[in-house]
Amino acid sequence: MNGESRRIIAGPFNRVEGDLEIRLDIDGGKVTRAEANSPLFRGFERILEGKDPRDAMTIVPRICGICSVSQSVAVARTLAAASGVRPPPNGELAQAVIHAAENIADHLTHFHVFFMADFARPVYEGRIWHEAAVRHFKAERGEAVKAAIQARAELLHIMGLLAGKWPHTLSVQPGGTTRAPDARDRIRLLAIVRRFRQWLEQNLFGDSLDNVAALGSLGDLDVWHRAGDAGFLRLFLTIADDLGLAEMGKGPPRFMSFGAYPRDGAHLLAPGIVEEGRRRPLDTAAITEDLSHSWMLGDTAHPSRGLTVPDEEMAAGYSWCKAPRLSGQTMEVGALARLVVEGRPLAPALLMGGRGNVRARVVARLVEIAISTLALEEWIRAMVPGEPFITPFELPDTVEAEGLTEAARGSLGHWLRIEKGRIASYQIIAPTTWNFSPRDQSGQPGPVEEALMGAPVLPGETTPVSVQHVVRSFDPCMVCTVH
Amino acid sequence: MQPTETFYDVMRRQGITRRSFLKFCSLTATALGLGPAFTSTIANAMETKPRTPVLWLHGLECTCCSESFIRSAHPLVKDVVLSMISLDYDDTLMAAAGHQAEAALEDTIERYKGQYILAVEGNPPLNEDGMFCIVGGKPFVDQLRHAAKHAKAIISWGSCASHGCVQAARPNPTRATPVHQVITDKPIIKVPGCPPIAEVMTGVITYMLTFDRIPELDRTGRPKMFYSQRIHDKCYRRPHFDAGQFVESFDDEGARRGYCLYKVGCKGPTTYNACSTVRWNEGTSFPIQAGHGCIGCSEDGFWDKGSWYARLQDIHQFGIEANADKIGGTVAAGVGGAVALHAAVSALKRAQVKNGNGAGGHGVAKDKESV
Repeated sequence: MNGESRRIIAGPFNRVEGDLEIRLDIDGGKVTRAEANSPLFRGFERILEGKDPRDAMTIVPRICGICSVSQSVAVARTLAAASGVRPPPNGELAQAVIHAAENIADHLTHFHVFFMADFARPVYEGRIWHEAAVRHFKAERGEAVKAAIQARAELLHIMGLLAGKWPHTLSVQPGGTTRAPDARDRIRLLAIVRRFRQWLEQNLFGDSLDNVAALGSLGDLDVWHRAGDAGFLRLFLTIADDLGLAEMGKGPPRFMSFGAYPRDGAHLLAPGIVEEGRRRPLDTAAITEDLSHSWMLGDTAHPSRGLTVPDEEMAAGYSWCKAPRLSGQTMEVGALARLVVEGRPLAPALLMGGRGNVRARVVARLVEIAISTLALEEWIRAMVPGEPFITPFELPDTVEAEGLTEAARGSLGHWLRIEKGRIASYQIIAPTTWNFSPRDQSGQPGPVEEALMGAPVLPGETTPVSVQHVVRSFDPCMVCTVH
Repeated sequence: MQPTETFYDVMRRQGITRRSFLKFCSLTATALGLGPAFTSTIANAMETKPRTPVLWLHGLECTCCSESFIRSAHPLVKDVVLSMISLDYDDTLMAAAGHQAEAALEDTIERYKGQYILAVEGNPPLNEDGMFCIVGGKPFVDQLRHAAKHAKAIISWGSCASHGCVQAARPNPTRATPVHQVITDKPIIKVPGCPPIAEVMTGVITYMLTFDRIPELDRTGRPKMFYSQRIHDKCYRRPHFDAGQFVESFDDEGARRGYCLYKVGCKGPTTYNACSTVRWNEGTSFPIQAGHGCIGCSEDGFWDKGSWYARLQDIHQFGIEANADKIGGTVAAGVGGAVALHAAVSALKRAQVKNGNGAGGHGVAKDKESV
C-alpha cells in the first residue's frame, strides 16, 4: 500500500534514561534496517585508572542515577572477589534487600511512566482500551502515573533505612553493608514492604502476588486475564492482544543472566544461558567486546584486556557503544532473560519461536516485581539483628577480579585489574550495552536493531509508534550503556 | 499580546483545588523557613503574577537529579512544581517525543524571550567540539548556549552542572565543564550535591517561581537557605566527635554504637549541605545515619581530593577548617582539651560568618582560591 522508501532518525527519545537515537531505513511501510546510537560518552573507565580501588565504590555508581545500586553491588562484588572477603549472612540479606528495592522501583517506573504512556497517544483513539490508557497513563497527568511515583517513593524508604540515601548509595560494601538494622528497623522495613505489596495487589495486579507469581502457562495467563478487569496488568494484556504485541519486537533467540540475589551460595534467579531453548552454564571467559562499529579504537577483546580509547575522528561506526558478544553471539538480557534462564514456567511460554517480544518483556518485568517483592519479605524476616552485617576486607597489591550481578535491565559485569595498589584497568559492560549494541564485524545487528526489523511504519510517521513500543519494551538505560 | 496565565490559573486548570493551593502556599512558607505569615504573600504572588516558564535541559549526566526531584517529600509540592515545569520542556518526563519535543523547546524560547528560567542537569563536554554529548544531532553545548541566550536566570542542578562532578575527574576525558564556565553573562544559581536533596531542589525552584527573584547566595553561588551549614554542624553523631568516640572500622564496636565516622573518611566537617537536617528519601535518613561517612558531594572538586576512606587532612580551601584534622588528633589524646578546642573553633567560625557577611563578591571568592 505504501511503497515509499526513506530514512528517518527517531530521537532524541524522551522517557528513556539518557540519550538515544535510532536511524531507521523504511521500505514498503516497514523498518528494513535499524542502527542504535548512544550519543553520550563520559569516559568513566579512563577516570578510574590510577585511582585507589576503593574509590570505585563512589565513582562507578555515578555512571547512572537510576540503577546506581546495581553499579554499587557490582563494584562490591568485584572488590570482594579481589580481596577474597565474603559478606556475613546478614550482609548478603541487606545487600539483596537494597538491590531488589531499586530493581523493583525501576520496573515500576518503566511500566507506569515510560512504557504505558504511548498507548494514550491520539493514534489509538477509538480502541476499546484507549480511554482507560489516557485516564491512567497519559504522560505527566495519568492517575496511575502519580500513584506509582508515590508508591515508589514510599518503597524507597527502604533505601533511607538501610542505605542512607538514594540515588547514589554508599552503604553497600564488599563485605556487606555499613548499616546494621536493629529489631525496630526490621519491623519498619516489613511495614514498608507490606504496604507496598498491598498497593501492588490493589493497583497493578488486582490479585495476590502469590497468584501472579504462580502463573505457569499461556493458558493460565489467559484464564487469569479473563477472570476480571482489575489491575493494570490485565489492561496491558488486553492492549497486547489487540495490537499483537506478542508478534512485535522479536529479539535474538538467546538469553543470558549473571544470576540475581545470591544467598548462601545460591541465587534467587539463577545464572546461565538459554540458546534456542537449551540451557547452558554461563562462561564469562567467552565474552568479548567488538569495536568495529563503535567510535572506539582497539581490537576485539575480553573485558579484562579491553581498552576504552574514543576515536576522535568518529570515522568508522555510528555509536559510542561497544558491541559485547558471548562466543561471538548477541544476547538479550533483562527480566525476561532472568526468568527464561531460571526456567519460570510463564517466561518460556511467552516467547514466540524462542524469541523475546514486546508482550513477553513487559509481562516478565511485572511477574518479576511479584516474585522479588515476596522475596523482600522473606529476606527481611531472615535478618538477625545483633549479628554482624559486614566483614572487613584488605585488597592485595596486584590482582585481577570480576564482579557480576543483575541490574533491573539485565546482566552487569565489572572487570578490574589492580597493579601496585592502584586501578590499572576497569571495564564495565552494562545491560543496555548488550541490548543496544551496534553491529559487530560479521555485520550481526544488536538485539534491539534485530527486534526493530519489520516494525510497521504508518505513512508520514516521523516517530513511528511501533518503534517506540519495541525500543521501550527493552527499558533502555542509555547512561549505563556508554559510560 | 497573548493573555498571560498566573500560576494559580495553571494549578486550577490542572485540577488542583483552592484548598490544596493554600496548603501548598503554607507548606512552601515552612519549607523556606519564612514562617506562617508568609502564606498569604505567597498566595498573593501566585494569584497575580504571570507564571514563569521553566526549561529543563539534560547534558552529560546520569539523571540522578531528576530521580531525586520526583521523590520530593510532599506529593502536593511535587505535583505542583512538576506541573509548572512539565508545561514547557523536559527530556525525561515530558509527553512529546523526538522532533515534536525539539519544536516545543524552540517555541518556548521564542514565546517567552527573557522571561523563562533555564534549569540545567548535567554539563557540556567541550572536547571534540562537544560531540561526546549529542542532542538532536547537535552538541549539547550548542543547545545550552542557545537556550541560555534568552533565559532570565539559570539553575545549575547538581554537582555536574555546578562543579563538573566525577565525570570531570582526572583526566576528565571529555572535558566536562560546569555551566558557569560556558555561560558567563547570566545569573546562575548552583544547587550542588550528587544528587541534590529533593526538598532542596523544590525549595529553590519554588522560591524563584513564587517570588520571581533569586534566593540569597553564598560566595560560591549556592542558596544560603540550604547551604550555610556544614553536615558536621547539625550531625546527630556530633556528640561522639566532641567526646572523641570514633569508628575505626565499619565492623567494630564503635560502628555498632553509632560513633563519629571522621576517622573512616567522613567529609562532614568540610561539606556545606542540608543532609543532616533535611535528610534523604522523605526525611528517613542520610549517609552518616547509614553508617558511612559523608563524601562531600556538594563541594567543588570532591572527586579529586584523594580517597573517600582516608581521614580528612590539610583542608586548604576553607581557612578555618584547616584545623579539623588537628582537632581529630587532639580529641584522641584528651577529651577535655578537644571540647575546649572545638568550642574555640566554633566561636571563630561564628565570627567569620559575621564578618564575611555571607554572599560576598569576588573578593571573598579570591580568598578561597588563594588559601
